[in-house]
Amino acid sequence: MNLDLIKFIPWLPALAAVLCGLCCTKKALRCLAAPICILSIASGFVIAFLHRGGVPPGGAVVPFFEWINIGGFSANFSYFIDPLTLIMLFVVCGIGTLVAWYAAFYMKGDKGYARFFTFVSLFIFAMTNLVMADNLVLLYLGWEGVGLCSYLLIGYYYNKPSAVAAAKKAFIVNRIGDLGFALGIFLVYQTFGTVSLREAIIAAEHVSEPSTAVTLIPFLLMLGAFGKSAQLPLYVWLPDAMEGPTPVSALIHAATMVTAGVYMIARLLPIFVLSPYALPVVAVVGGLTAVFAATIALCQYDIKRIYAYSTISQLGYMFLGVGALSTVGGVFHLFTHAFFKALLFLTAGSVMHALAGQLDLRKMSGLRTKMPVTCWLMFVGCLALAGFPLTAGFFSKDMILAAVMEKGLGEHGQPLFLALGILGLFTAFLTAFYTFRLWFRVFMGPEQYEMGEEHHGAEEHGHDHGHGEDAKPQAASDIKVEHHHDAHEMPLLMNLPLIVLAAGAIAAGYWAEHSGWIESMVESSTAAVHGGESAHAAELFGYHLHTAMMVISSAISILGIALAAYFHWLNRPAADAAARQYKSIVTLLNNKYYVDEINDAAIVTPLRTKGEIFFAIDRLIIDALVTLVGLVPRALGIGARRLQTGALQGYGLGMACGAAVLLLLVLFVAN
Amino acid sequence: MNPTTIMLVMILVPLLGGLGLMFLPRGNDSAVRPFALAYTLLTFALSLGLAFQFDWTRTQDLQFGFFHNWVPAFGLKFGFGIDAISLWLVLLTTFLMPLVVLGSFTAVKERAREFFLWLLVLEAAMLGTFVATDIFFFYICFEFTLVPLYFLIGIFGSTDRLRAARVFFLYTFTGSMLTFAGVLYVAWFNTTLDAATPFTGAGVWSFNIVTLYHAAAYMTVAQQSWVLLALLAGFAVKVPIFPFHTWLPLAHTEAPTAGSVILAGVLLKLGTYGLLRFAIPMTGVALDPVIGPVPGALVHFAPWIAGLAIIGILYTALICWVQKDIKKLIAYSSVSHLGFCVLGLFAINTIGVGGAVAYMVNHGLSTGALFLCVGMIYERFHTREMARMGGLASVMPIWSTFMIFFCLASVGLPGLNGFVGEFLTLLGAFTAGNVLGPWYAAVAGVGMIFGAIYILYMAGRVVWGPTKIPTDDHGDAHGHGHEVKDLSAREIGVLAPLAIGCLVLGLYPTPFLRSLEAPIERLTEPARLMIAARASNQARDAHLTDIMAEERALNEDGMTIIVPELPGLAAPPAVAPPAEPER
Repeated sequence: MNLDLIKFIPWLPALAAVLCGLCCTKKALRCLAAPICILSIASGFVIAFLHRGGVPPGGAVVPFFEWINIGGFSANFSYFIDPLTLIMLFVVCGIGTLVAWYAAFYMKGDKGYARFFTFVSLFIFAMTNLVMADNLVLLYLGWEGVGLCSYLLIGYYYNKPSAVAAAKKAFIVNRIGDLGFALGIFLVYQTFGTVSLREAIIAAEHVSEPSTAVTLIPFLLMLGAFGKSAQLPLYVWLPDAMEGPTPVSALIHAATMVTAGVYMIARLLPIFVLSPYALPVVAVVGGLTAVFAATIALCQYDIKRIYAYSTISQLGYMFLGVGALSTVGGVFHLFTHAFFKALLFLTAGSVMHALAGQLDLRKMSGLRTKMPVTCWLMFVGCLALAGFPLTAGFFSKDMILAAVMEKGLGEHGQPLFLALGILGLFTAFLTAFYTFRLWFRVFMGPEQYEMGEEHHGAEEHGHDHGHGEDAKPQAASDIKVEHHHDAHEMPLLMNLPLIVLAAGAIAAGYWAEHSGWIESMVESSTAAVHGGESAHAAELFGYHLHTAMMVISSAISILGIALAAYFHWLNRPAADAAARQYKSIVTLLNNKYYVDEINDAAIVTPLRTKGEIFFAIDRLIIDALVTLVGLVPRALGIGARRLQTGALQGYGLGMACGAAVLLLLVLFVAN
Repeated sequence: MNPTTIMLVMILVPLLGGLGLMFLPRGNDSAVRPFALAYTLLTFALSLGLAFQFDWTRTQDLQFGFFHNWVPAFGLKFGFGIDAISLWLVLLTTFLMPLVVLGSFTAVKERAREFFLWLLVLEAAMLGTFVATDIFFFYICFEFTLVPLYFLIGIFGSTDRLRAARVFFLYTFTGSMLTFAGVLYVAWFNTTLDAATPFTGAGVWSFNIVTLYHAAAYMTVAQQSWVLLALLAGFAVKVPIFPFHTWLPLAHTEAPTAGSVILAGVLLKLGTYGLLRFAIPMTGVALDPVIGPVPGALVHFAPWIAGLAIIGILYTALICWVQKDIKKLIAYSSVSHLGFCVLGLFAINTIGVGGAVAYMVNHGLSTGALFLCVGMIYERFHTREMARMGGLASVMPIWSTFMIFFCLASVGLPGLNGFVGEFLTLLGAFTAGNVLGPWYAAVAGVGMIFGAIYILYMAGRVVWGPTKIPTDDHGDAHGHGHEVKDLSAREIGVLAPLAIGCLVLGLYPTPFLRSLEAPIERLTEPARLMIAARASNQARDAHLTDIMAEERALNEDGMTIIVPELPGLAAPPAVAPPAEPER
């Protein structure tokens, strides 16, 4: 197979972005944007699929063109392709195609239709560069590039102040992580003399005695990963990112971009193992994030935010897996999570679409008869997220937890990992509960709902205004047409991609694990774990660990679902009573532990105050000093005030005289 | 045409254009604008011709050299010649000028003739600065740039223009007088040298750059320190390096758009160019008659200057964040950005200095474009208060697209030009062992975060958010009650070339960067060799300490002392005196 085709994977979407950009300029062209975008992403998927068996062992480098070369430093647009890249490409282009398809219907009638697809194409360009980069700087390009698209798409409804603020927050918080990443790249260059992934990994594998600098690299890179993948303490941007259109939340903030951190650590595993503390730190951060975000998700009312916290929590699992040296588990969960989380977001989008932008859990109930297809599609997604036996999420989550427990209970059992494993199981319980809390609330129980404030734009009512435009109160007031369209099911074409995702959410896990595909893929990439202990050593309660974990997590998942069914379907008053009883906890969780407020008070406000103070210093002290110095000659030359007229002739004369005097002086000295 | 002639003609064409403007028929200013545009375009074409004639295989040489004796007794010459660094800055200047002229077509309504005259004169002065190979001639051009800009600010500026012009003029003029004193001192020092000193031009009056490089190497470190401080006095004000920056926000806010673009785009780079062309090669090494080459003043001062640059980056970035006037914000951001440039320069390695030169060109494009964007807003609304406008994306989508694009170039998004300079300067500082080091890059890197904060704050205020069109005192929307007009074809024509430039230099900077390698290596060679020598000395000293400790331990044990052979103890690696100046 000719690997040259590979370079089209990022650049076709780049071309599509340019074309879609042109479509923005003419109203008649607008409808072309979606097909262009979908086609470019789908062809990327096809190219990747054609190469599924054709990747040489150890990966291959496909050079494209030179980028930054100076003084021995070299970072080019050249692509590295190995099985791990392929997995990521399948996820990015596969999910990307499906989401773009869905969005072609979802975004219909929006004023920024073409703009939306421009950004999505640009995103795919950046994301494919990220996963295909052969050097860290190109990876960084993709990394910042997806951050940019995330910024643009979160702020897509740019008239909404909350969307603008969320977009800004996402970019800046990511920048904090990116600084760590950039410094990590510098340190890699300084220690290994290269930024090429392959060369750095080979060099890392040959390090016998890691120096301090080398052990520092993983911690710097980790910061970038935590920023992009929304882990503690840099997760704060992701929940707010839900201000973007729902397909964006599905694609960028659930399935692809946010998993970049997991990909990066898996890709650079040989560098991460150089420090004995790096991966345990990753695992601890992942485990804590998982449980932390899950608790917040318990008490949120906004559907998309519940899923956002759930994404943070699931990403925590992936980090936990990678941190426990189970890159297979981490990447596997990344793979299955992409299916079911994209499905969940898109079905949430359908609900939102049907209810005119309504997202509040308290204002909807019993929608199953109105939206039967969406109802059961979301059910499938919820099962997978809750880790219900035999769904995709079950297998991947189980693989991670088993690996963590293995490290906790195996021959050299580390209590840290045992604790993390128990934490993981507890999180699994919380996950099952909050997932089905949502589902039972939305689709079960008595049918009642309130429509949101937004209404569909042009396609039904002939307005040329999208959701965001209309959400803006002042704009809405003058164009608001009282209309009472009811909650409704989505058209079949729009549901088609969801059905594909649902099939994946059920079957992808079983298939990928039992065919050995995921394992063989990951194990033949740079994420392969060398010299791991035998996977069948530990036992739990007298059973083989793996079997025992499967049983335990199945039980936990079913228990969570059952409890959710009781409190949120069969006996809702009991839930309200419980909430009243533990009011303080609920308030704390509902307010997300007040982290945003704390950040504001501890970081943002002081920095801004510093800005004000510096500005005052600049004007009052530094400038005053300069003026003072400037006054000295003035005071001296008070008699010569006539020269200080501000007219240039005077200055020109002075300049000429000065030069002449100097010249004469120097000539005199010379002679 | 002979390339040397092209170069001379290139400098003269704007002057001729200025002269021609004076002879255009009075009373009718309509011809003035296309006339000025034609002359700047002609200059650009000539500079392109120069680039085609340039020998890209020896980018370090000052090519197309030309000398004309001026005051022979005093060694004064008109000396011209360009290496790749000069050439890129020349191209930046000639590329920006037509866009600036085109961008000022409607902004300047009165006294247009004078306005464009001063712009053309300014262009000639800037070009002269970049091609000068004679310090005296450089200095004349350097100072002469002040005059046209003084008029541009003082006549065509906003309300407080006179004060701004005066502060700008006096501040930069005072600084550069000291620079001039430093240059004269080096030239004088050269005359005191023995004529047998092994370089051309020793012992006589000369202002040739290369001669003075060599002469300065024979100074003691203390003498070099004074020279470096004198050079810094002028250049640091020009760049500006914190805390000598306060003239800049004032000048920018009062200057007309064209003035701001030229000021940020090219004039500030005269400072960094001066540092690179004079301060770095002159003070890199001191040839001590007794112990041979020792690190020059530059090597001692570099960490301190870099420290000031870093303070400037962070301090002004935070100031940007609290600005209310959009133009002032961009003005302060220039100070912050130029901090990266200075940091890269004083990393004194190819990556850092290369990044700094890349930064000069890139900052010229992106910040120039931002000033043009702001100018277009000012023309429509007659205000630059961010609080009075918002959500312009709905009413001016094309302008907003450009604005966001240049904002991204300015925050250093990879794939656009700003990233290349920012990344390389930080990488250069990070890897500059024995001068700067990782901590410099780590602290300066916080500027990346602050940069995103203030730029996105501005974008969030002006481009995004609920639509808000500034109203005048009577409560009417500007634009005489009509809809706000998006960019005209002319304005798109101004911004599009800049955007393309940003994209090209962001995606394919390799030819640009490669051409910088050789000249940078030549200019930084003395300092780099001394830094390397110092590093190996330190390694040797550490080794020596180890061995002495070992010996002590052995002594205490009462064992025989073995004196091991110390590697490289004999003498510090000799640094060959810099190569002969070429003719």
